[in-house]
Amino acid sequence: MPPEKFAQLDPVIHSRIRLAILSILISVKEASFNYLKDTIGTTDGNLSASLSKLEEAGYISIKKAFKGKKPLTTCRISEKGTQAFSEYLKALESYIEFKE
Amino acid sequence: MNKIQASEEFKFIREMIDRTRKITAGSWMFFLIWGIVAILGVGGMYALVFVEKYSWIWLNWIVFVGIGVVFSIVYGKRIERSKGARSYAYIATGHVCFACGMAFLLVGFVFPLLKLYSWGLIAILISLIAGILVFSLGGIYEWNLLKWCGVIWLLGSLGMVFIHENYRALLFIPLILIGYILPALVLRSMYKKQSEEDAS
Repeated sequence: MPPEKFAQLDPVIHSRIRLAILSILISVKEASFNYLKDTIGTTDGNLSASLSKLEEAGYISIKKAFKGKKPLTTCRISEKGTQAFSEYLKALESYIEFKE
Repeated sequence: MNKIQASEEFKFIREMIDRTRKITAGSWMFFLIWGIVAILGVGGMYALVFVEKYSWIWLNWIVFVGIGVVFSIVYGKRIERSKGARSYAYIATGHVCFACGMAFLLVGFVFPLLKLYSWGLIAILISLIAGILVFSLGGIYEWNLLKWCGVIWLLGSLGMVFIHENYRALLFIPLILIGYILPALVLRSMYKKQSEEDAS
């Protein structure tokens, strides 16, 4: 199968941290910023930048609130994000199914 | 992107998803408290039988089950707040536990009070529901030990059929030790190991 037949990988998802974020959010109803940071094992800065990119693309929604005096950020995957993640998986499959 | 890289990405995705589905080692308290509550309930029941205070047996179970329920609600909320995420596995667990709890209530209290069956059948039905509960939790968290504990409860309910109804509830004690206390101890050692790793 020539390279141009491979499905295009979504550049928004095609990054280790953003892929990790969506993989986690697909399994949970919602997750806090700290939960994502601890589960993925990344820094505040990297995570914030990745979350912003995913939010801009409409793949996740971010809610900011306060728990007492502490800020609490929670994230959820959107329907568009679920669809995009599903298509990303199908695209990955096309690479695995390719027989040289 | 080549075939190997794509496979690696799938493994990475799977690993992230698995991290949300692992039974939290902090759940050991649920198993331990319910195990203790059940053993005390059985002990209390036989003590009341010994002193021939049969009408108090219901109160014995209401007190101990009530303690278990209050603990589960309070501790469950605490775990949910501290985790930072509500996984679908956790939500499913809550629903399964609630449904089985309702079944325990109907089978253990309501139906016997309505005289649908003799009190001797209660132990068999309770073991059956406990088996369904524990096996289902094993399936949700993909933990084989729990699945086997569930099978043991189901076999226990079958074993009770061959025991005189006066002594059936005694079989609860080994079932609780294997089906609740053992998973609690395993989870507790995982929790301690996890806490040590986090501290270092």
